[in-house]
Amino acid sequence: MSSEDRVQVAASFILQSPPGEINDVLNDVRVIVDDDAGLEEGILPALREYNIAQFTTVEVPGEQHQTIVSDFARVPDTEEERYLDPRSTTSFVFNHLTLEATDPQSEEPSEVEPQRAALESAALSYLSSHYHDGVTTVLALSTTRFAIQIVSNKYNPSNYWAGRWRSHYEIDFESRTIQGRVLVNVHYYEQGNVQLSTSNDLSISIPSAVSSLSPASSASKIFALIEAEESRCQTSLNDAYHEMGEKAFKGLRRALPLTRQKIDWDKTMGYKLGAELTASNRTFGAQAR
Amino acid sequence: MAEGPDPVDSMLDLMRRLPPTNVEENVNALIQICPDYADDLLGSVDQPLKVKTDRETGKDYLACDYNRDGDSYRSPWSNEYDPPIEDGTAPTPKLRKLEIAANEAFDTYRELYYEGGVSSVYLWDLEDGGFAGVVLLKKAMTPTSPDEPSGSWDSIHVFETAERGRQAHYKLTSTVMLELVTKQNNKADETSVLGEPEKKASEQGWKSSGEITLSGNMTRQTEQDWPVHEPTSHITNTGKMIEEMEMKMRNLLQEVYFGKTRDIVYDLRSVDDLEKARRQRELQKELVGFIKR
Repeated sequence: MSSEDRVQVAASFILQSPPGEINDVLNDVRVIVDDDAGLEEGILPALREYNIAQFTTVEVPGEQHQTIVSDFARVPDTEEERYLDPRSTTSFVFNHLTLEATDPQSEEPSEVEPQRAALESAALSYLSSHYHDGVTTVLALSTTRFAIQIVSNKYNPSNYWAGRWRSHYEIDFESRTIQGRVLVNVHYYEQGNVQLSTSNDLSISIPSAVSSLSPASSASKIFALIEAEESRCQTSLNDAYHEMGEKAFKGLRRALPLTRQKIDWDKTMGYKLGAELTASNRTFGAQAR
Repeated sequence: MAEGPDPVDSMLDLMRRLPPTNVEENVNALIQICPDYADDLLGSVDQPLKVKTDRETGKDYLACDYNRDGDSYRSPWSNEYDPPIEDGTAPTPKLRKLEIAANEAFDTYRELYYEGGVSSVYLWDLEDGGFAGVVLLKKAMTPTSPDEPSGSWDSIHVFETAERGRQAHYKLTSTVMLELVTKQNNKADETSVLGEPEKKASEQGWKSSGEITLSGNMTRQTEQDWPVHEPTSHITNTGKMIEEMEMKMRNLLQEVYFGKTRDIVYDLRSVDDLEKARRQRELQKELVGFIKR
């Protein structure tokens, strides 16, 4: 296999990394591919794709908060990887390998800053009410469309587990819809490899009355809708857990046989031996064994 | 050849991290990168067992690395390879007799615990005198309606025996692979989220569709000594060990799959309002302060 092909295969492994374990996967890939120079150059696109898809967060240089490195936040018409933090209206250069943010620059606020800021304020309030360790970013896509991203991570490598919740919404005030997706990933790896992967596509209609509200009021109503949906999603997941644990799991393998006792192995072997003896008695005299 | 970590260790570490649902593609990809390690990899990474049908007897059996020779697999019922090959690896006649009895015993075990599914046992001699074997069990469930979950359970129990007089020392390594998938489709026509019941139903709707996948594997080991009176004692002994082991692992899987992973989701997001809870605690502290004074 050519070096380029090996690096391409390595890229596919990176994209499958569980939350918080990208460095472990990279270390494994380094040993397996055994070509550091080729790897460093070749996997940059995969690292970029992974970081964007996984809602990778970063401390905004010069600020006291984090933002999500998002495709919607990519500053256009620049050669460098420059991303916008709408909360501080600054942008920074992001290194997808080292995960460092550098070279902050001031940016122009969006045309619809009042609405965007109102949504951001409601998002931050929603975060502190429902997420233990969340980060959010709210971006204006046009004068009537906004993108909201939420991510919550928990890493516990010493106890062999990690989890990530990602929510993504596109608010369209013109068509009065919220389109969203919620993704949850959990990895448990003590003497094994167990993973939960959920994906939920949501579509919510915004009542017409919301259009005539102030930015702050409409933002708060929008997040009331999102909160109801996400909570319903989470309780629905809980119900599915119950169903899988009680019914499906039991349908695969019983805890005990119908007799409600463990197998009597001597008896099991005895029956088989008995059957064999009877069989050999029938052929006795026909042929010496 | 680079010095440093063994590529196989890195490959095994990688397979413990990548999604269990992609194990086949990932193992194939690793073999493409490092073809020299193909055998090591296929022998060490557990993959879902494949079901094959014995052409001679019509019975199903399970295919894995332990009954494979090249691209052919040996049936425990007919002892023949499919596709047929010349001089394929097979147990000696004495061991084959034991293998037949073991398959019958575990067929009973399978019926009592799995009420369906497929089982297979393969034995092979070890160079130092003892013998080893693998007991395989597989059960899959396909849902009758789209709302029901689908799932599969695969057991791989590899054991080694070494006879010491009238006793035998057994080493058992057991892996269970479990996967459950649920699809969900919901919608509401009249959810009155904002207290506006007069509004048309179409204006207050929501729709959601999703999928939940719980999949993975867990491994445990044990070493025990048991008395041996006749060759079939090995079947009784490994039978008891495997039954006990599956019991423990079933409980472990239940805890991890439906307990631990669920708890982690609730560590990420709370359905209850955390701010409200914080304010209540503050209020309580204040009240306690007042009462103490």
